[in-house]
Amino acid sequence: MEPLMRISELHTRFHTQDGTVNAVNGISYAMQPGEVLGVVGESGCGKSVHALSILRLIQIPPGEIDAREIWFGGRDLLKLNDGDIRKVRGREIAMVFQDPMSSLNPVYTVGFQISEALMLHKNMNKQQARERALELLNLVGIPEARKRLDNYPHQFSGGMRQRAMIAMALSCEPKLLIADEPTTALDVTIQAQIIELVVRLQQELGMAVMWITHDLGIVAEMAENINVMYAGFIIERGKAHEIYHQTRHPYTLGLLGSLPRIDEAPGTKLISIPGLPPDLIGLPQGCPFFARCAFREERCRLERPVLEEAGSTGHTVACWRWQEIDAETLRKAVGGAQ
Amino acid sequence: MSTQMPEVEVLTDFAVREHRSLWLDAWRRLKASRTAMLGLVVVAVFLLSAVGAHFFWNYNAKTDLDYSSKLLPPNLVSTAEKPGVHIFGTDKLGRDIFTRVVHGGWNSLRVGLVAVSISLIIGCLLGLFAGFFESFDMNLKEKLVLMCGLGLVLGLFPAWIARQWYQTLLFGGLGAASVILEKKLAYVKLRPVMFAAAGALLGGLSGLLLAPLVGLVCAVVGLLIGLLLNKPVNGKAFSSITMRVMDILLSFPSYLLAIAIVAFLGPGLEKGMIAIGVVGIPVYARLARSAVLSVSQKEYVLASQSVGEGHGRILFKHVLPNILSPIIVQATMGLASAILSAAALGFLGLGAIPPEPEWGAMLGDSYKFLSSGAWWAVLFPGLAIVFSVLGFNLLGDGLRDALDPKMRIN
Repeated sequence: MEPLMRISELHTRFHTQDGTVNAVNGISYAMQPGEVLGVVGESGCGKSVHALSILRLIQIPPGEIDAREIWFGGRDLLKLNDGDIRKVRGREIAMVFQDPMSSLNPVYTVGFQISEALMLHKNMNKQQARERALELLNLVGIPEARKRLDNYPHQFSGGMRQRAMIAMALSCEPKLLIADEPTTALDVTIQAQIIELVVRLQQELGMAVMWITHDLGIVAEMAENINVMYAGFIIERGKAHEIYHQTRHPYTLGLLGSLPRIDEAPGTKLISIPGLPPDLIGLPQGCPFFARCAFREERCRLERPVLEEAGSTGHTVACWRWQEIDAETLRKAVGGAQ
Repeated sequence: MSTQMPEVEVLTDFAVREHRSLWLDAWRRLKASRTAMLGLVVVAVFLLSAVGAHFFWNYNAKTDLDYSSKLLPPNLVSTAEKPGVHIFGTDKLGRDIFTRVVHGGWNSLRVGLVAVSISLIIGCLLGLFAGFFESFDMNLKEKLVLMCGLGLVLGLFPAWIARQWYQTLLFGGLGAASVILEKKLAYVKLRPVMFAAAGALLGGLSGLLLAPLVGLVCAVVGLLIGLLLNKPVNGKAFSSITMRVMDILLSFPSYLLAIAIVAFLGPGLEKGMIAIGVVGIPVYARLARSAVLSVSQKEYVLASQSVGEGHGRILFKHVLPNILSPIIVQATMGLASAILSAAALGFLGLGAIPPEPEWGAMLGDSYKFLSSGAWWAVLFPGLAIVFSVLGFNLLGDGLRDALDPKMRIN
């Protein structure tokens, strides 16, 4: 099957006064139509930057996007001119941002902001766009949508604003929705509602969703595939259950080990990953995770591991020693076993 | 019981209250401030009297002359010994000062509005573009417009020397070529030389059609323009060049610059308006730029970009409305200072041409008579200046508080 999107060797760099920041370092993967992909990693690992690079929303200069291709819908997004990439934004790929408090313009009504994209891409007139905006607000579950259409963003609560943002993103029925930590700023109850909403809409509309988050718990239940990112690299990729149950990369293991689990014996210590992510200016020559890894050996310092198939098809990991790694050895290695 | 009632009322009021727009909300807060309302009243009186006088009270300054009643003190009731009602007295030519103060208001209002419009429109546009293109890089079309425009403007200079206006078009074309050929010439080391030579040829050849000397001068000017157009500017360069020009304008004392511009253009109220307007440009440009810089970093700007909106729409629909409040405040304050500047120019004899009634000019005409006791000829125009400026300043202060989002919590 022809994939919906194929990214190969995407590099995103920022040329700053202190040097070149290598935010994304040659990542490649494909997404199928209707797939839900989770992208996880800690702050600054390049999750958001890689998503913004797909839509070419990086400011150039100081930024630089360099890839063999970002294939989407039969063409290379990097080769499109300004007018054509703008037609992709919103219409084929839509985005929902992290902070619902600041991602709506305070001087316009919510209804107007939702209908804006419709008037832009679907050539609707004001009345049609307003009707559609009303439908969309109903779709995302905002009560009394007709009244709420003429409200300003400050009259919405955080969860409602995020719903409105989702309505805005869905307005042109995109093929891919990029959700950039859409629930981070919300409390847990609302978080669950938003996730449920997106999963429902994904199934109803059949679009693909890329869910970017630092919370492994969120993507566990919704994502088909998961990319684990570290320092701008994809260090492990596979089906969600493989990532959780046949974890191969010590970093992913560390991330999972740092989550409290309900089925664990009381008193079990959480594993923490020592140290900090490497400076993205002047990355180490070998494995980016070398300095923090409990399994490191001389080879890891000198040679950077590449993604290779680990066990089952589609499960890839970038680690020299993936065969020797499991949760028990990690526990022993960090001395957290109790 | 009685202590709890109001609280409940406030709460229900909050729950059901109709939403108010930003401006309605600001107006409500403005009304609550006494000084702002005082300013508003003063400004309203000034506006009404100025507009009313201009349209409904005929006054011909050129024929208004009566030596028999010169320098009369204020007189409220006409009697046999003191005929004629002059509530503000008369000046050295026997003209009624009240009439002239009221009509002078129209001139001050005109100066204020026109000068502020000039500085507001030019300054805001410069600031908007400078701030916006610092965060968003220019696309090809925008670069083309900018470099072509720059070529046209710079080309005016050799064209003016040679009186060959088509030269501007040649240099406009050179600017456009610089953008179009940017990628092809990116690694050509001799590019500056190429463009300098092209500029020199364009200017020199067309100048040679007239005279060898003209050709030489145009070639030298063309060479410099070619050098300037050699590299197409990006957003950051555009911003920093614009803002450095604004800094240069700002480094002149404002009255000195205004006087210099009037000296260049010649005296007259209209010229004064232009001079005051130009002096005010950098203030608005800086204000707009800094506001745009902060608004451009907001997530809703990124969001509108991710929906596929173009630069023009983002700038004018999403950024501009969010920076309006500081600009409105500055414009109100700017009216006051424009009126003051106009009066200063008038006082120096560089503004309105006599006998046109203008407050500053009236002061300048009459201060010599202070020593002979004719205080009224100076006091009343002076008070008019004081009150109009004070009114606009109070109103501006009130607006600043009313439009400040941090005050909205109260």
